[in-house]
Order: sequence, then structure tokens, then C-alpha cells
Amino acid sequence: MGEEKHTQSSRELHVGPGAYIALIIAILFFSGLFMKVGGMKWLSAFDFTTLSGTFGTMKDPAKNTFLGAGGASAKAGFLFALSLAPTVMLALGVLEIFTHYGAIRAAHKLLTPLLKPLLGIPGLTGLALITDLQSTDAGAALTKELYDEKEITKKELVVMSAWQYSGAGMINNYFAIGSALFAVLTAPVIIPLVLMFVLKFVGGMFVRFVLSTVYKEDFQDEQ
Amino acid sequence: MSNNPKTNTTSNPFDIFVIGARKGFNIAINNLMPNVLMAYVLAEVLNILGVMQLVGRLFGPLMGIFGLPGEAVTVLLTAWLSSSAGTGIAVSLLNKGVLNGTHATILIAAIFLMGSQLQYMGRLLGVADVPKKYWPLLMLTSILNACIAMFVMRIFA
Repeated sequence: MGEEKHTQSSRELHVGPGAYIALIIAILFFSGLFMKVGGMKWLSAFDFTTLSGTFGTMKDPAKNTFLGAGGASAKAGFLFALSLAPTVMLALGVLEIFTHYGAIRAAHKLLTPLLKPLLGIPGLTGLALITDLQSTDAGAALTKELYDEKEITKKELVVMSAWQYSGAGMINNYFAIGSALFAVLTAPVIIPLVLMFVLKFVGGMFVRFVLSTVYKEDFQDEQ
Repeated sequence: MSNNPKTNTTSNPFDIFVIGARKGFNIAINNLMPNVLMAYVLAEVLNILGVMQLVGRLFGPLMGIFGLPGEAVTVLLTAWLSSSAGTGIAVSLLNKGVLNGTHATILIAAIFLMGSQLQYMGRLLGVADVPKKYWPLLMLTSILNACIAMFVMRIFA
């Protein structure tokens, strides 16, 4: 009885050699043994305390923010990410207002006449593309819908996806994440954004070209 | 233009701002913070192991084309996995003095043009049902876009 129970539990709890290795590494990582090994400083890259890092200190209180100066690793990263929250909240709050007052619909209208000549896709795809500028997931869902309803062909689907894939969720990502770098930029903040938008078309046109040359056979029964 | 914009539950601009700001807070706490923390730790590991310096020397010539130091390649490689993490690496390199404002300006568009491709494979290409055959083409296109962006931003930086 006791033995049967034992085999049963060992069947439930399969422990391979990998698990033991993981356990040993975990113990070593948290042990502090690697923190200061004379002559092997690189070992400290696998030490919990070292990787926890340090907060910055007020070396120059007149200039330092709450981040301080000279912080490192996880602690410095945490405070830095926290320091981004106000900018991100402001950016998305304002974007929400502009969206509400129809900025996106206006952009949609302006974009539509460009689609056929540049990318060879019908104007009705504009909404999915514009949506992608704000939300990757919503753009992807709209794109799939267009294909499922046979509004676009497979080739058009690939070209559309190429446009979306490079720099997906561009506006929100740029203002939410890229804002971390805005303070140090040596060019106006709008320039990279405009450039990314233009390059989306360049990428889309490149894919359109490759599909109609290299992959020509794939789409022969279309159109 | 005929559709009425006031279909939302609220049309008070202050309320709308708060809805957006709340989204911003969620992104900052749930997305930025874990990614940036990971990037900072990763940068520290690479730094202690000396990989950063090695990569800097190895990719120096290649990144030099774009007017960047070799270490900048770590920003791009990390950005490919996650834009937030790539941005985090860029900031930690800025703090260490490896990158400066000009370098950040050259990098910023590239970070997003080739950013988070690993995630977006599932979230975009997978969801939109793009045949897997064309995925490498789309990935290559994004990387080409990023390279063009760095060349162009070099003029403005």
C-alpha cells in the first residue's frame, strides 16, 4: 500500500535532471556566495544582491530628481520607470481627447486616397490601418475581419500587415514608451514620428513589389 | 463626418482625459515598469560580464555607419524583443554616458520600427492570419525600415 502510494506520487510529480539543476542555480543565485569572489568579479552577474542594484543618491541635491545619481540595476530601473508615469498619463489623456473629437476620423479621410496608388489596397482598409497606429491588437482584428468578409485578397492582406507590422501601435508606443527619451532628443519630437509614418508606406511598397515579383505565382489565381 | 462623436458614455473632456490618463497609468505600471526593470538588470549583467564592451568593439564598425557607438546594437537587439526594454537599455546607456542625445535621436525611430517584433508575430501576424511563409519578409522589411530611419535621423540629429 505504502509502496503503491509512493509510485503514484512519483508519477504525478515527475522531476527530471533539469529541475535539480534549476534548484541548484536558484540556491546559488540567492545565496550571496557569488557576491564577492576575489579575482572573479564576473560571478557577481549571477548574484541576487548585486542585481538588485542601488538607488541613486543625492549627490547634487540642487539638480538631482528623486532618481538621484549613480543608481544601478533593478532599483534604478524601478525608479526610472516610475518617473515616466506622469508623462505617459498626460500623453494618453490628451490623445484620448483628440481621438474623441475626431482626429482619427480626419486622419482616416486623408489617408484613404493614398492607399490605392501607393500600396494597391482598397480605400476601405484605411480604418484598420489608422486603428493600428493606436492599437496593434485592434488593427489586427479589423484586418482579419476584412479578409474573412472577402473584402481583400490574400496579397492585399500581406501588404496591409506589412504596413502595420513595422512600427505597430506607433502613436501610443511612441508617446507612452518613447517619451523616456524625449528629454535628450536633439531634434523636434515630431520628426521621428513623421519619419516612421512615411517608412510604413516604404515598407508596404517594398512588400508589394516583392509579392508581385518573387512570389508572383502565389497570387496568380487572384485578380 | 455625419456620425455623431457623442456616442461615448461621457463627453466631458475632463472625464475623457481621466480615462486616457488611467490607460497611461496602466501602461506605465503593467508594461513599462516590468520591462524597464528587466532592461536595467540585463544591462547590468551584460556590463558585469564584459559582454557590453565586447559587443561595443565587435559592432563598432557596423554601427559606425549609422553614426552610433557599437554598444548601440544592444538597444536594437533588445528592442526587437520589446520596445519598452529597448528604450530602457537606451536610457541606462545614456546614464552611463555610453550614448548621448544625438545617438538617442538616431535610435528612437528605429526602436519602434523594428520594435516588439517577437510579440507582434502573435498579436498581429497571427491574429490577422498572415501565411507564415511571408513572416520573414515582413520582418526583413521592418529591419530595413529601421536602417533607413537611422540614416535619415542622422541628418536631423
